[in-house]
Amino acid sequence: MQSLLSPRTLLTRTLAAIAMLLLVMVACSLVGTEPVSIKAALAGPGPSGSPSPDYEILLRVRVPRILLAAIVGAALAGAGVVFQAVLRNPLADPYILGVSSGAGLGAMLAVIGGINWTLWGRSPIAVFAFVGALGTVWLVWAIGRITGRFHVTGLLLAGVVVNACFSAIIMFLTSIAKSQDVYATVFWLMGNMAEEDAFVLWASGGCVAAGLVALFFLSPSLNAISFGQTDARSMGIHVERVQFVALAVSAFVTAVAVSLSGLIGFVGLIVPHAVRLVVGPDHRQLLPLSSIFGAVFLVVADTIARRIVAPAQLPVGVITAMLGGPFFLILLMRYNKKVCWLS
Amino acid sequence: MTNGIQLDHVTFAYRPDQPVLKDISMAIDPGTFLAVVGPNGAGKSTLISLLAGLLRPQTGTIAIDGNDIDSYTRGDLARKVALVPQEHLPVFGFSVTETILMARTPHFDAWGFERPADRQIVAEALEMTDTARFASRPLASLSGGERQRVFIARALAQDTPIILLDEPTSFLDLHHQVRVYDLLRSVQQDKHRTVVAITHDINLAAQYCDRALLLRPEAEIPGTGGPGRPPEPSARYTLGSTEQVFRPEEIERVFGIRVFSARIGTENMFLPLGRMAKDTAMWGGQTRPAKET
Repeated sequence: MQSLLSPRTLLTRTLAAIAMLLLVMVACSLVGTEPVSIKAALAGPGPSGSPSPDYEILLRVRVPRILLAAIVGAALAGAGVVFQAVLRNPLADPYILGVSSGAGLGAMLAVIGGINWTLWGRSPIAVFAFVGALGTVWLVWAIGRITGRFHVTGLLLAGVVVNACFSAIIMFLTSIAKSQDVYATVFWLMGNMAEEDAFVLWASGGCVAAGLVALFFLSPSLNAISFGQTDARSMGIHVERVQFVALAVSAFVTAVAVSLSGLIGFVGLIVPHAVRLVVGPDHRQLLPLSSIFGAVFLVVADTIARRIVAPAQLPVGVITAMLGGPFFLILLMRYNKKVCWLS
Repeated sequence: MTNGIQLDHVTFAYRPDQPVLKDISMAIDPGTFLAVVGPNGAGKSTLISLLAGLLRPQTGTIAIDGNDIDSYTRGDLARKVALVPQEHLPVFGFSVTETILMARTPHFDAWGFERPADRQIVAEALEMTDTARFASRPLASLSGGERQRVFIARALAQDTPIILLDEPTSFLDLHHQVRVYDLLRSVQQDKHRTVVAITHDINLAAQYCDRALLLRPEAEIPGTGGPGRPPEPSARYTLGSTEQVFRPEEIERVFGIRVFSARIGTENMFLPLGRMAKDTAMWGGQTRPAKET
């Protein structure tokens, strides 16, 4: 009998991947326009009045940003795995059910409405984007339910229609809004990493981690759902319940990521596929490993984005697509024959 | 308490006023191999979906092992009834063993992993269906016949007294058709499972099944028999032993075709004859169906 995934194997691989992530994070924290020494930074913040520059740059600028990239990358890749499984569609990504246009519309409304209060230190753009993203997924889910029996197709169509409709509204608002407002939103939508304060990092990191752990416990059911709703139900899976919880949690995780960094494409689509090509489709393994490699990928991409045209910065979404595309094609050519991808 | 499957005045309609199944009452004893036959649209797949608990009848009740099907939770019903669907592939490339192991999902431990007993059951299912040779290959790399055996193995791994199959041999060549039926027969006899299979192959059903259920499309009952053959108003379905159900005149009327039939052993075998068939000489010869001569 084929050697199956054992808990021990999964734990070993997950820990190895986490070790790799930590290594990459440390390495990336040393890359930047200013050379810094870890030794000097670890010596402490220095006396007030003459703070240690190494400490300031490393722990107040680079480390928070690297942590942010890791949180966002893990959220997007993990949510991507779940969206692909629940919708049984390899083209699905975390934005497919309206998260992107909902977040965009929310951000646009915040900017145009001239809202300037903050919530727990978050800018109104982030708060509105978060609410817009979740609200839109809820709307798509409600529309999808009306279409009834072919629930998955109905959901996908509802997502496409709502995305198109909201994008049109965004374009309409863009064309009537004052130009500098629009620039702020468009730049935000392109996907950017900015330095965040510790509370935001802890809170969003906790939300994403909790969501991913919850999704892990659904992964055996997601395996069965890959064979279709009828099969999964006849095998004793509560399909509707699993689908609802999985979509709700992954939409929440995605909305957290979007409110942190705007729309970063490609991570949620490509990382799950790349990991699946290498380790196979079992979601118990695919979900944790995709999340960790999503974090690795975005940390590296963001480091490149802030270094490559320094002192200016590129939107990280540009790098994820430019870096991820060729990398994914290499994987595809190398593994496709072996694992019969997509079928 | 009675074991097996009981249907009591079951009616099901996708649209009101157009019942697909109307007032069906029958009992399927434990350990029976039942063939469900009938023209397209007669409600065969609907019946299987009802028995699998995927649909609920508008009126009437279905009992599995003496308990109303509605009284089962989804997990409990999956311990009673397994379904082998029509051939299809999952979106992602699961291997044969992974596929079969999924039948054990409700029995997994708290971390979502199989227990040793689950591995044992999967190993037995691989052995019984002769799929162990390609256990680690992805489903997509198998032939249709091999894949069908994998799905039967998955149903076996579910370890249920009842196995339902939706056209298990539709896309298979003769060799694999016979292998699948041999397998189903051995599942029924060695493992004492109740097997209910939809099929279009009456001859294979006659050779392998104990009993047969012949369903007629509800819409076509009036006038189905054509002039001189008034339909029996109550005969929406016929249930009986295969030689009782598979009678030439019955097959001709229900499917609206002519057949050449011959008795082999105790069973009737059928060869359908179209208007343009080359050997139309058979129509006039001694071999025509008895009642026409």
